Parts: sequence; structure tokens; C-alpha cells
Amino acid sequence: MERGYWIRSKPVYSTLVWQQQANAHIVLVEGSAGGLAAMKLFQQMHPEHPTKVLYARNPVVQQDLSIPLSKVVPDALLMFETTEESLVAFEAHLSSACMGLRIYVAGSERFIWQVAQMADKYGIDDSDIIKELVGTLARPIYCVHCKTISYEAHTNIKKCDGCGKQLFVRDHFSRRLGAYMGLMVDAEDPGQIPSIEEIYP
Amino acid sequence: MSTFKVVVSNIQQITPLIKQFSFIREDGASLPPFSGGSHVVVAMNINGRLHRNPYSLMGSPQAPDTYHIAVRLQEHSRGGSAYLHHEVKVGSQLEITYPNNLFALDKRARKHLLVAGGIGITPFMSQIEDLIRTKANYELHYAYRSQDHAAFTSTLKEKCDERIRVYVESEGLSIDLKALLSKQPLGTHVYVCGPNAMVVALIETARSLGWPENHIHSEQFLAPPSGEPFKVKLAKSNIEVHVPAEMSMLEAIEAAGVDAPYSCRGGACGRCELEVIRTDGVLVHQDHYLSEADKAAGKKIMPCVSRAKCHSLEINL
Repeated sequence: MERGYWIRSKPVYSTLVWQQQANAHIVLVEGSAGGLAAMKLFQQMHPEHPTKVLYARNPVVQQDLSIPLSKVVPDALLMFETTEESLVAFEAHLSSACMGLRIYVAGSERFIWQVAQMADKYGIDDSDIIKELVGTLARPIYCVHCKTISYEAHTNIKKCDGCGKQLFVRDHFSRRLGAYMGLMVDAEDPGQIPSIEEIYP
Repeated sequence: MSTFKVVVSNIQQITPLIKQFSFIREDGASLPPFSGGSHVVVAMNINGRLHRNPYSLMGSPQAPDTYHIAVRLQEHSRGGSAYLHHEVKVGSQLEITYPNNLFALDKRARKHLLVAGGIGITPFMSQIEDLIRTKANYELHYAYRSQDHAAFTSTLKEKCDERIRVYVESEGLSIDLKALLSKQPLGTHVYVCGPNAMVVALIETARSLGWPENHIHSEQFLAPPSGEPFKVKLAKSNIEVHVPAEMSMLEAIEAAGVDAPYSCRGGACGRCELEVIRTDGVLVHQDHYLSEADKAAGKKIMPCVSRAKCHSLEINL
């Protein structure tokens, strides 16, 4: 990829910071790095509005932060073993929530966009979600040929879980699908696969 | 702006101060369809001076055989509303622009919350047609001063059924914005049209409760305020135009025979933006289109409502 090259669709992530103007807050975090992001958020302050923290322990890479988190956020913390369970709880919360709910998410790109897609179902635009990318840079990849989304792409070229084609992982991102576009890398020269390197650890 | 000619086909007195005017096309052709919340600009030749005022289109937007606007007689009318109220009769000919929408419903909304104050009900009259047709979830909150100002209330009550709430100020009722905005389900969009104080209060309340900007919609056309006279030098046309106290800069430029872009003529849409080359005084920004940073930078001006406090101003037109 050329240096200085920029694709507008590629998401830019920030760090979690409380939004002062709010009616309520919900914080979704994934794994050890997500747990740490939640800890840092509560180091800023304890918000005055009703707050909930949904912590999905999985994947635990370094340490499980459920004990320190439960000390910092004693009455607002809900713990889950998997991200899927936390998303189910998130949807239940959204269905009864009012306008003014601020949504914060810290985790892998896959998790961030699962949360964004869920919020979209309830009429909330992803641009209104505070997102922090932590833990892993692994990308979800959408195969433009067979439409399968493969997760956990750590390399510049990844084999599609659906059709088995070797896909070149682009920076071009779809917010609707929550994935980067992947194109067959050897379409013009079948069998000519450039060297595969880990660039999304 | 491209325009076409219409004939006034009906006039109805709605309240002591509000008249409804109905238009059909002069050439008998069908009228262009529009979307809920659209407005047209009506051109009026008043004593040799051309006035152009924006008015919301009411009624069904689908395949209109008639356009309807409602005009409130302004206490300090610059001429437009008084002319429509006193001079225009059934059969009068007027020129209007094609409809334009600066106050469109957001189709992604899971619920639409409409808040109207007084004559600010007009853009909602066509939006409600769209909402009913698409079976959308909505609520209308309509505040006015007294029963004398209750424009279209009975029509609306019939159309909206239990979805409308009215607040009559003289009966001590007003909208509790904080209570209203803090209990709206996720995915609600709010739309407000009415007096300045109401629009500002609603926007500020929504923001303070954490409503995202793209869920807050407002419309408020300003009448061009009067001010001190000044001179405008048009750099490209190489002429100098005198802007009298009671005329807007845009009107003065048009009166001098120079074509300037415009759309809403009320400081809302941004279409008439002009580049300021220099001035020997200060710009008096009155629009709600430019950002505070733009206003402070002094490089742009919206001539439909803004003026300059200076002897001369040079603009790139």
C-alpha cells in the first residue's frame, strides 16, 4: 500500500471519553483490553446519569479484569462469558431505552461493528457511538465474490472461509456490513499469490 | 430560480390573522409533486418593488391539483403578508418557484416527534400527510397563544386522532420540553418550527439531554430585518448598489438587475452565500446557516437576511 494513501470509508477510532450531555450511558467492552478501557473510563469520573457496563470476558488475552471492574463499578456492571451474550443483553437494553442514551464500545473491530449494527436497528447512527479499537487489529473481511464474511484476518492476504479464494484485504470498509472488502488476489494471474505477511496482529 | 405562474383559486380566513391561499397553475398543467415540509417562494410586485417570501406548502404532496399556503398577517409586515392579505383576491396571478425542501422527514427515524408553535404548524401540514400515508410512528405537539390562533386544529385532530396534543397558552398550557424529550424511544427524530425562542429552547434541551445533532431538525425562516443603509460594490459586475434601511442586501442587488442565487430567503438554506472581499466596517450576520467560526472570520455573508454596518462592502458577485 502506498504511503499517505487514504480511504475515506476506513473507520477512525478514538478513545472512550464520557459525553457530558446525556440522559444515560451504556458501555460495552470485550476482553482484557476492553476491560482496561472501561477501567480508564471510570478513572475519568463516575457519571451522574444512569450507567450500565456490559463486560464480555471473552477473549481473555492477558488478565480477567472482572474483579477490579466490579470494585470500580459495583452496581452497574453486568458480566458475560461471551460477546454474543453481551450483545443479547445490549439489544434488550436498547428496546426500552430513551433518546439521550450514549453508547460506548471498546473491543475488536468485529465487536465494535456488531454493536454498531445492533444500534442501527434501533435508529442510532454509528457516528454517534464512541468507539475505541483495542486488543487486536484483526479485520473482518467481506468476500466480494461469494459474500461470506471471514473474521480474524491478521494478514494482508487471507483465504475466504466461504469460497476458499485468496483475498487481498483492502482498506475499503463497509459500515453496513461491518467489514473490509476482500478481493481475489490472483484473479489475473491464477496461482500467483504474493507473500503473505501478518500486518493486523 | 426557475418559477412558474399560478392563479389564486381560493382564499379562506382560517383565524383572524391567518389566511389560506390556494393556487392552480395558470397554464392548466399539473403542479409538481413535493415532499412533506417543502416550501415555495412567492414573488409579489408591490408598488414596483419585487418581494419574494417563502411559504410552506400544505396539503397532500403526492399528486397535488392545488397548492395551499397559509399566511399570518405580521404586525410589522415589510409588505409581503399585508399584500397577500389585503390585495390578493381570487383570480389574482402570482409567480412561484418550484418546491424545495429544507425540512424533510428523516426516513430512518423510528418515530417522528413534531413540535409546532403558532404559524409554525404549516410545514407539518404536508409532513403529516406523508406520515399518515407511510403509516409512520409520529406525535404532533402544537402550541398556540389562544383559541383565536388555533389554525387548522380541528382538521389536525381529525387526521391525527390521538397522536396530536395541543397547548393553548391563554389556558396556561405550554410544552414541557424536558419532560417530552427525555422519554422518547431510541431512534426518535424531533422537528421544530415556530417562534425563535421555542426553536432555540427545543434545540438546547435536546442537546443537553444527549440527543445527537442529526436527530434534531428545525426550520425557521427569518424576515429580513431592517438596519442602517450601506453601499455594496459588486466586484464582478463592477457596479455599486445602495442598500436602503428597509431593504435586504439580496433585494437591493436584485433591484439593481443583478442575478444572485437564492433559495429560502430566510437565512436557513445557505444557497445565497456570497464571498466578502473587503469592508470598512463590520458584518452583521443574522442567518442561522453560517457557523460561528465562519461568522467570526468575516469572509462570507448571506445577503438574504444579513447586512453590514459600514459605508461600503465589496463582494465577489
